[in-house]
Amino acid sequence: MAERCAVVGIGQTHHKKVRDDVSLAGLLREAGQRALDDAELTWRDIDAVVIGTAPDSFEGVMMPELYLADALGAAGKPIMRVHTAGSVGGSTAIVATHLVQSGVRRRVLTIAFEKQSEGDTTWGLSGGRSGGVGAGGYFAPHIRAYIDRSHAPEHAGWMVAVKDRLNALKNPYAHLQVPDITLEKVRDSPMVWEPVRRLESCPASDGACALVLTDEAGGDAAPRPPAWVHGTAIRSELGQFPGRDPVNPQGGRDCAADVYAQAGITDPRRDIDVVEMYVPFSWYEPMWLENLGFAAEGDGWRLTEDGVTEMTGDLPVNCSGGVLSSNPIGASGMLRFAEAAMQVRGQAGEHQIDGATTALGHAYGGAAQFFAMWIVRSTKP
Amino acid sequence: MRDVAIVSFATSGALPAVEDTETQMLFPVISEAIERSGIPRADIGFTCSGSADYLAGTPFAFVGNLEAVGAWPPISESHVDMDGAWALYEAWVRLQHGDVDVALAFSSGISSRSDLREVLCLQNDPYYLMPLWADHGSLAGLQARAAADAGLIPEADTTVATPPSSDGAAAVIMVAGDRAREVCERPAWIRGIEHRSDPHYLGVRDLTDVASARLAAEAAGVGDAPVEVAELSAAHPHEEVLLRRALGLGDEVEVHTGADPLMVSGLVHIGEAFRQINEHGRQRTVGHASSGACLQQNLVCVLEGDA
Amino acid sequence: MSDDTDGPVRFMPQLIGLDYTIRTNPVAAAFGAALAEGHITGHRCPSCQRVYAPPKGYCPICCVATGADDLVEVADRGLITSWTVLTPIQYAGQKEREDYALASILLDGADGTIGQQRLTDVPLDEIRMGLRVEAVWAPPDERVGDDRGYGLGTAVSGWRPTGEPDAPPSAYQDHTL
Repeated sequence: MAERCAVVGIGQTHHKKVRDDVSLAGLLREAGQRALDDAELTWRDIDAVVIGTAPDSFEGVMMPELYLADALGAAGKPIMRVHTAGSVGGSTAIVATHLVQSGVRRRVLTIAFEKQSEGDTTWGLSGGRSGGVGAGGYFAPHIRAYIDRSHAPEHAGWMVAVKDRLNALKNPYAHLQVPDITLEKVRDSPMVWEPVRRLESCPASDGACALVLTDEAGGDAAPRPPAWVHGTAIRSELGQFPGRDPVNPQGGRDCAADVYAQAGITDPRRDIDVVEMYVPFSWYEPMWLENLGFAAEGDGWRLTEDGVTEMTGDLPVNCSGGVLSSNPIGASGMLRFAEAAMQVRGQAGEHQIDGATTALGHAYGGAAQFFAMWIVRSTKP
Repeated sequence: MRDVAIVSFATSGALPAVEDTETQMLFPVISEAIERSGIPRADIGFTCSGSADYLAGTPFAFVGNLEAVGAWPPISESHVDMDGAWALYEAWVRLQHGDVDVALAFSSGISSRSDLREVLCLQNDPYYLMPLWADHGSLAGLQARAAADAGLIPEADTTVATPPSSDGAAAVIMVAGDRAREVCERPAWIRGIEHRSDPHYLGVRDLTDVASARLAAEAAGVGDAPVEVAELSAAHPHEEVLLRRALGLGDEVEVHTGADPLMVSGLVHIGEAFRQINEHGRQRTVGHASSGACLQQNLVCVLEGDA
Repeated sequence: MSDDTDGPVRFMPQLIGLDYTIRTNPVAAAFGAALAEGHITGHRCPSCQRVYAPPKGYCPICCVATGADDLVEVADRGLITSWTVLTPIQYAGQKEREDYALASILLDGADGTIGQQRLTDVPLDEIRMGLRVEAVWAPPDERVGDDRGYGLGTAVSGWRPTGEPDAPPSAYQDHTL
């Protein structure tokens, strides 16, 4: 690797159901300006911009890098747009990281976003046709297969839903703020996609997330402690073929093995202090705990049940409240990456894990077939 | 920068209204590019594709295209909702890391399913411009007018005809270092590749100067040595004139133009610039890609053969 | 809309309509023609022997093209490998109003499932993995194949239990999708 990469600026919007106080460009600028302020840089200091978002049809803007170039200070500069389904926020951050690590750019601004209120996501997912299955309906069978295989008790799913919403109360940017959330409330919420209940599902949010990435010199000169990128990995696999296991996908296992090897992680449970993983439906916490090597196959739910993944546990997961509390789809992956970086920078505020030095950011998308991950640390590689 | 060369290229050509799905259209093109390179599929360390959901009329259309690649066991792969030239750029960046030596870039576009005069309006600012339904052809007319007023093109070239849209796919194999020479008799080395954007609002641009193309060409080093052939993504006569000026190409440079098929054109131009070196013995060529109305965004790739 | 230019930002809905002409690809067209005759067909990969129904025109695992030479017929019955019950979200164009069940079905003779198939004649709380089902064919003049070749179009209106004993977990474990 030619060059080290440092995360020197992080910004996000307040995520809400409807951000009708800003335009699409205004939403991105809000996140971008906060990231630049954090880095004490200006739009002029940026060499290249990389944006990421889910399908264009969610907002009705085709190839939005064209329209957004002006607002993002990209006139006369390079701007790219990444689209890898739900993992896009993560893979966008990785494309930006690669621009720095390759030595091609020195300072890159990357922003991922979704303004769900300006379109209709379920309509978009269905391609406008009746009887669409939607994201929840699509993943529900995978979740049932997991429960069937692991014999997990149904309260494991409720526990994740409660934990992440309680964590969100510590995050001023989180969309859902449900102070009175309880296991009973989750249990009694309507079943929307059997076996997934309403309160076990993510909301639809407007929001954006931005990162300023620099080379080593930029990291050394940063006004606040940077997070250093120790590994990045992406994997894609076919969505459907006989014998494919979408519950514990090979692509996720390979991606984790790749990023751990880059970061010198041999025992993820021991070596990683805090995890931000993509959990849009509560059951994905135990499923990904297994896929990412934190628990043996079939045992992920035991970590949840034992409180290991709570902020007071030894492997805190989604201290930010996660996707279950804020879901600006295209940005959701980058938020995981950003929150991981905030933890090792000691900047996570009320949801900070004391002394966190190594963090994993994780995103997935498509038919649980696209994966993006990074490992960040408080120290240089 | 690490030396990276294009060693193989395949394209469907511009097809009128294909019946095949995008994946079916891509399948033989990707296979042909891989076979021509002589490199086993499993040796490809990074794959990147370009396409547009709004042409397919389906969200996540690119997901199905994975089936044309052979993504099992899982592969390291990414996608841009941009012309395939930007997929090639992302793959070139990835090859700079040193741990991966072979990359595949491909793209596809089916324009025949919809009316591009309508669909491309969705590229415009959604609040102030999109409701006007100003199509790319009409906006190109504004640029042609500006070029004529500046005396750059004859009055006759200000009538902008919308060319028929076509469908197509293309794929390129890139290899880093000496292995490029092992698998290819005459690889085309990427000596410079850069891209830039202009503002979206036409009112703040000098439409007679494609500044983004000029900046990209300078950064890619187009003018560092003579260019024999340039492959330009120009849809109209005035765009060729403006791009020639922006890229600093004199009258002695052989120029081939065309902007079809959408999402594929740029990658095809880079592929054709490779062919000029690989098959026709040229020494130094340029491939160009453009995106958006009035050449808003431009990518320039300088290729050289071994002396 | 407000005339008050100093007031808060206001948004107004703008519905965008775009028309697409989907040309049914030749593989899907042949599949649809067979469906109209009451046959479900697939392609057997000449390399790995996996049977894909509906056929794709290639095997995505072997990266081998498939065609008429690889055509096989599969049964119009099989087993449920996974399922879900949906409460329809009311987006523009949605016609569903009541809860309904969709399942992935592994047809006898096929190696991959057909996804998002409607279940009928079974109470929602009796749906299970391994349940044996058979096609409920639409009347011949109402059988229109899917224009994109994704599923069975309108040829099969749903799937109902056959009454056979459930298939064992080994029959569906590798077919979650």
